[in-house]
Amino acid sequence: MLESPSHSEDDELLRLISAGNEGAFLAFYNRHHGPVYRFALQMSGKTEIAEEVTQDVFLAVMRSARYDRNRGSVPAFLYGIARNLVLRCLDRERPYLTLLDDPESEYTGRIADPRDLEHELSRNERIETLRKAVLALPPAYREVVVLCDLHEMDYLAAAGVIGCAVGTIRSRLHRARALLMEKMRASERCAV
Amino acid sequence: MNQNEQELLKDLRALADADPREAPAAVRERSLVEFRRRSAQQRRMAWLPAAGVGAIAAATLIFFLVPKQVPTHGTDAPTAISNAAIQPSSANADETDGGFYPLPEAEGLPPIETATVIRVQMPVESLQLMGVAVSDAGSAEPVQADILLGQDGLARGVRLVQ
Repeated sequence: MLESPSHSEDDELLRLISAGNEGAFLAFYNRHHGPVYRFALQMSGKTEIAEEVTQDVFLAVMRSARYDRNRGSVPAFLYGIARNLVLRCLDRERPYLTLLDDPESEYTGRIADPRDLEHELSRNERIETLRKAVLALPPAYREVVVLCDLHEMDYLAAAGVIGCAVGTIRSRLHRARALLMEKMRASERCAV
Repeated sequence: MNQNEQELLKDLRALADADPREAPAAVRERSLVEFRRRSAQQRRMAWLPAAGVGAIAAATLIFFLVPKQVPTHGTDAPTAISNAAIQPSSANADETDGGFYPLPEAEGLPPIETATVIRVQMPVESLQLMGVAVSDAGSAEPVQADILLGQDGLARGVRLVQ
């Protein structure tokens, strides 16, 4: 999850950034870009999308008048922008994304291939399998897994980023984990 | 939480650890370049609203402060009116062409090349002092009058509107 530097520091940086201060922009970027990039990468599975989204998030910060402290922390504000941008990119590229349920996808093909069975059971392969399973989740489930499980965000903060009730986060996360376990079991069955 | 879920959470943590912690340096450079470009653009754009407001204010000021040039003798363009033209032609008819009474202090001024008329409100007694015959001489109400100005901005004549 994004670190939480003091609100006042972020507020001051945002004020300076909106005035065109380059040093403030770099300080703000260095402070927050890592989690934003990882979030975009974990949501999209594509480095080019993650890079584009990261850049656009920090340029959106130039219009920081949009930031309302009452609606959440600065990190949550950044995640919110990143989320919207990622979802827009995913919509744009939907026809080209490789999905788990696609029988022709690279992921399914590799699991079904008996020659790779031993490797699939190894730790690294298991992690990669899980990564693909996360990417194959519907975006509404994927984002709660990324925020709550990969970025260790609490339910309340995640609800603020996504713009839904805490109960929705809880139920989506429960459902998403069930889907992931199901897919992981399926991959193990294929391996056996 | 069952064993499968615990295993899943462990794998998810491993997945989180495996992902890069930072964006490539090129992203930072590109962002910075774009930031500079947009900052410069914002600085340029910042002048536009102020310039727009200033232009509107100036236009409004000019509209209200600069006297309108009105045609005399029914022509569209300002007409040159000579001092002779606004001299009374008879004792009974001090009123000149265009209905302007010549002002005594206008004598000796250069001839009018470009006439400008401004409409003003003035007390009746001021008109009388200018030599304009006013029927309601005792009225305390101000009356509307046109002042004829020459190209030098000096008054040459006065005309009663009301």
